[in-house]
Amino acid sequence: MITQRGFVVIFAGVLLLTSGFSFVNFYLVLLGVYLVIGLVVTLPLFALTANLAGIEVDRHIDKLKVFSGDFLRVRVTIRNISRRHFDFIEVHDQYPETWILAIGENFIASRIEPGSSITFSYILQARMRGRYHIGPTEVVMRDRLGLHYYKRTLKAHTEVLVYPTWKDVRRMEALGKQRQLGLMFGAHRTKTVGLGSDFAGFREYVPGDEFRLIDWKTSAKSGDMVIRQYEMEKNIQVICMVDTSGSMGNGYPENTKLEYAIRAAVLLTHMGLERKDLVGTCVFSDIVHGYVPPGTRPNHMYDVLEALAAAEPKGWSDYETAIQYVVSNTKKRSLFIWMTDLEESPAPLLNAMKTLVANGHKAMVISPFGPWFEAPVGQFGPVEKVLSEAVSEELWERRNKIARALARFGIEVINVGPEDFLPTIIKTYNQAKQKGVAMF
Amino acid sequence: MKAVTWILRIGSVATFAVMAALVYRFLDVNDIWHWNAPYDFIVTVFRFLSLVLFFLTTTMISGLASAFGGGTLPNDLVVGLYNTLVLRQWYMQPYGVDSPLTNLQQVWTSFGANMSSVLLTLWDNTFLFLYFLFAGIGIVLFLQSLVRMDHKFVGGAFLSIQAIIIVASFKLLSVPNMDPFPTDFLIFLTDSYQLLALISFAYLEISYQMIYSYSVGKPVEDREETLKKQLLALRQATRKQDAIERGEKVASSGISRSTSATAFSFLREAIERKVVGSKDALENLDAVSDVRRLQIYVDELLQSDSKARDELTAKAAAPSSAYVIGSTITGSLVRFLSVIVIAFILMSPSVLTTILRLPQGIWNSMEILQPEMMLLLFLPVVLLFPFAAMVITWFSKRAEVEKEELTEEEREAEKARKKDLARRRKEAARARKERERARKKRSHRESEIDEWDKALEETYRK
Repeated sequence: MITQRGFVVIFAGVLLLTSGFSFVNFYLVLLGVYLVIGLVVTLPLFALTANLAGIEVDRHIDKLKVFSGDFLRVRVTIRNISRRHFDFIEVHDQYPETWILAIGENFIASRIEPGSSITFSYILQARMRGRYHIGPTEVVMRDRLGLHYYKRTLKAHTEVLVYPTWKDVRRMEALGKQRQLGLMFGAHRTKTVGLGSDFAGFREYVPGDEFRLIDWKTSAKSGDMVIRQYEMEKNIQVICMVDTSGSMGNGYPENTKLEYAIRAAVLLTHMGLERKDLVGTCVFSDIVHGYVPPGTRPNHMYDVLEALAAAEPKGWSDYETAIQYVVSNTKKRSLFIWMTDLEESPAPLLNAMKTLVANGHKAMVISPFGPWFEAPVGQFGPVEKVLSEAVSEELWERRNKIARALARFGIEVINVGPEDFLPTIIKTYNQAKQKGVAMF
Repeated sequence: MKAVTWILRIGSVATFAVMAALVYRFLDVNDIWHWNAPYDFIVTVFRFLSLVLFFLTTTMISGLASAFGGGTLPNDLVVGLYNTLVLRQWYMQPYGVDSPLTNLQQVWTSFGANMSSVLLTLWDNTFLFLYFLFAGIGIVLFLQSLVRMDHKFVGGAFLSIQAIIIVASFKLLSVPNMDPFPTDFLIFLTDSYQLLALISFAYLEISYQMIYSYSVGKPVEDREETLKKQLLALRQATRKQDAIERGEKVASSGISRSTSATAFSFLREAIERKVVGSKDALENLDAVSDVRRLQIYVDELLQSDSKARDELTAKAAAPSSAYVIGSTITGSLVRFLSVIVIAFILMSPSVLTTILRLPQGIWNSMEILQPEMMLLLFLPVVLLFPFAAMVITWFSKRAEVEKEELTEEEREAEKARKKDLARRRKEAARARKERERARKKRSHRESEIDEWDKALEETYRK
């Protein structure tokens, strides 16, 4: 293959040749011949030596599973397994577009001796959760004068799974540390009066109470029969229903409704695990993409992260299928926290809620409101502004109707935007703990 | 590698100087190197423009005067008055006009005569100017090529110097020409014009080798330099953040914005987001923590792995200078010799007629002495080399693009994943159908509306 600069040499040669022909000048013709012959004369030799099959590329990555925002080092080794010198070799190791090259370069240009190897490395910052591939590696070999080249793309893909960002958890932990209070700061233990061994207080005797619970001393003092009450700590069971339908993907990259829902689910799971509560996660759209049942296993967090990392906004929301699947796999009473934008027709949602309540579960909906996640109205022209406002109003009206319908059955709908999504989930969780919703 | 590049740089300067000197000497016989030629050209251009302006002005004024004068051309008195008052200062002396022209006819006649003489002078001066222009461009591009190390400057410098000869040929001046083309190889080799051609070719060859030497060594050196800058920028950024967090006043950046920006794209992002060094630094926790985490990551990496720094700079990739010098000399010699021999074979009429065994008529014809005759051998020979390269490529094992091959396990896993997805879709579709059927059956059987549906309907009705 002739490079661009090779074509420039051809052009110069042809220019000199035609000038020589036009002005009957042998000097110009000779110079033209020199250029053209000089360009092609080494071509067979280059083709003979530049056998790119003699180049091997090996890539090594420190971690294959990272959190969004984490750094990872990529080491690339190029080996010349042939017996020939490669005068000029360029190696580009490709990485995902959304990632950031933090330190070093993903490119090298050098010569390589037979049997020897070159190793270079660079540090990337993984951005945006998902399944990514590092590679392929492009190897370009040029002749010394840069007139000819051969190119080869080596497969060597390395798959890296990027978990959702951990920064919310880090931030929460940092705040906890700053206040010099434990992680349990602000969290209320869920207690059940009646069982257990911790003393909770007194109450008047009612027929049917056990005699052994009567506090005779206090009864004598007050003149009425009083019984002692004990309480026991209980944990709650929460299931996070993350809707990954197409509409959840609207908004700015990294700030879509789905991304916030995923961040909320990660935060909720972490908080739950810290407080020994059981938190499960279901990722669904028209089918159930992944379900991690509530648990406290050491790997539970990673199971949730893997299920969330692979979530893609596509399809539509089939609430009924999702709830049927989860309810059939869940034995205990649970609090279902739905994270959905409610942009599907209301009937399936209500049917799903019907199934849920009929099975003795509690539910609430945290619903990201589309227009709050999309382009700010200020950036629109007058026509777009009017249209967007009209659409927003209609959407708002629709969700109000759904909220009213759900409220009749004790299911609360909270509309959230990018700023209050995460605070709302923390608040919801804490309230559930206080109220003792869905205890096991 | 720096030493090799410098040696080749000196070679490039020498060959360019010789090439330029030879072109100057060969064209000097035409007496074209008038050092005032550029000045003359510019003055002539302005004279031409002044004439055009003069003509336009007089025509316009006459036209306007005739319009106001009731459709008749202004008489000589008006023209004379106008020329005396307005055009008195007009620079007309080069055209032999000392006093203002008082007659309209006289103005146009003068314009016609002057115009043709100015245009002819301009034509001659243009060529003189072009020689200097090409020489100037050539020298500028040559100097750029030494600093920027880019092929396009080398090619531009070469073509600019050769363009002087091309333009001179067009003007039918005495230029380097090997007419008739030598039939003896030794005469061909020792010809002075051949020397110019060889030196010109050598300039290209040495300059390209210089760029090769530079581009093979430079990336590794650059890498090391960039890494140093990046680490320095990173350290300074984290120190600054610490100072901000402690509530200390931060002095203006130790590293300039431009330096850090070119060195470190990651930090550039942080700077662009006005994180580092601004008062609201702590507000953007994400960016601050990213820079800090990167610092911690790099520190740990450099501590735990002794090879990490060398791998980041790719120090081991630097090629040895000795081999580059040796291969440059041998490669250039081989190319030189083969080019000279092949060029002689292609261009010499005696070789041409011997190889092609042309009939006697053609042998004795004038056409055999024309430069176009070399095309008979030139085209097939030139095409022979790419063809040979193509054949070699076919026969040697060479994969242009490799298709990714999955391992047996990966293929199985992929198959299972697809199967599972299809099964789940099927199940979901079946469940939906069943639900639909049950709902229909219920609506037939039950006359009263379900409590939930009722609730929704009531809500919607409100």
